[in-house]
Amino acid sequence: MANAERDRFIVRAEIRSSDAHVISYGFDLTATSIFVVTEWHAAIGTPVQLRLSFPRILAPIDVVARIGDIRVAGEPGEPGGIRLVFDPGAGDAAGRLVDLLDRLHAPPSAAAAGDLPCRVLLVDDSWLIRDMFAYGTSRFFDRPGALAVDHAEDAEHAWDKLAASTYDLIIVDYFLPSEDGASLIARLRRDERLAHTPIVAISVGGRDAREATLSAGADVFVDKPLVFRDLFNTLRMLAGRREDARPAAQRKAILVFDDSPFALALTRAALESAGFTVAIAEDLSSFERQRVAFDPDLILVDVQMPEAFGDDVASTLRGWHGVQVPILLVSSLDQSELARRAQWAHAAGYICKGAGMSELVRRCRELLQGAP
Amino acid sequence: MMEELFAKFFPQFIALARTRVAAATTAAAGRDHAAAPTVVRELHALAGEAGLLGLRQVIPLARDCELKAKALQRSRGDADADALLGALRELAQLIERLGAQQGG
Repeated sequence: MANAERDRFIVRAEIRSSDAHVISYGFDLTATSIFVVTEWHAAIGTPVQLRLSFPRILAPIDVVARIGDIRVAGEPGEPGGIRLVFDPGAGDAAGRLVDLLDRLHAPPSAAAAGDLPCRVLLVDDSWLIRDMFAYGTSRFFDRPGALAVDHAEDAEHAWDKLAASTYDLIIVDYFLPSEDGASLIARLRRDERLAHTPIVAISVGGRDAREATLSAGADVFVDKPLVFRDLFNTLRMLAGRREDARPAAQRKAILVFDDSPFALALTRAALESAGFTVAIAEDLSSFERQRVAFDPDLILVDVQMPEAFGDDVASTLRGWHGVQVPILLVSSLDQSELARRAQWAHAAGYICKGAGMSELVRRCRELLQGAP
Repeated sequence: MMEELFAKFFPQFIALARTRVAAATTAAAGRDHAAAPTVVRELHALAGEAGLLGLRQVIPLARDCELKAKALQRSRGDADADALLGALRELAQLIERLGAQQGG
């Protein structure tokens, strides 16, 4: 892949001038300039304050820049905007931009190659867009499995998936049925657990959609038609940065299956606080979906549930599906009964709920050696 | 960390426990035998939720209620219903005391 193409990743760009405050996005970043998509422009040479950022990829960098060129929108995929040339006195900021570009051009590290995939949720009601995205990512990424893309066709399905799993990036279309993307983004930002997840908003809606989604809390807005290459480069950066964004031990993934929403919420909060990545399932169908999609390192299963006994689930996973990851039974049953069931199911062990969350976290750490 | 989690989840637990015990009491007092499986399951869940949160004193009472609810499910007799109602009153009182101690 030519470097010119690899440079085209997306960052949030905020421009402040004497008469304007513009929040948009930029690409074609070099050590000396960036192209920012915007309808706003001023005379060539006009100085502006520019802040570039993207969660987990680029901590905010403030630079002084000048308008170096103005481009009128052309063909689809050629949005109008301005090229901003960084002030030669940018100092530290310029150095950080060069570091960022170096990282972008660096081959994936060996550590990253063995890592869990970067998990993305795409919320778009167009099946064709979803398919294009899935197909495009499969072709774009050099390393199979580097990216795991999940889909939701509307806000409610997205919310269900977000409640049950953890994502590194959420891409939200603005025009969604029943609840628009801006409303979904605002809900995400109000949720303590999801508030800091990077969000990219996409739309054909132009300025109105951009302002609505950015006001709601999107990190970046990208116009449709999407130039997938730009978005995929951004994802590649995000995948590469997972190593930096989380301590190594945090990448251990635990799937928790319990019919009590309260127990699920509490267990997830405790395990996430301890640094694990957690997915939850409240019934058999969501458990099976999560088990396949989430590929957990450890499974916690409640025993007495309406649809099935947890020891039967564990036994079937072990004996019939050949699941190798450890499975722990978690229950308020008497210890002797729980021990008997765990042994019968060939589970890795059991945890009495009465022992509390501290013990549960300790056992998870013990089983996932090297975890926090 | 666990203290923060407790502070966050304790009010939810108290509210949920009140709901579960109230539903079980209504079913037992009204001899609603069709609700028996749900009552048993919810009392079992209550014991587990209390245990995870570290409220160990709730567990034996919740388990006792669960066992009495199972007995009522089998017998459908007034004596078992009254025994369950008595155990549920005790459990409800404990939950109210806990709620009051923690300002819930």
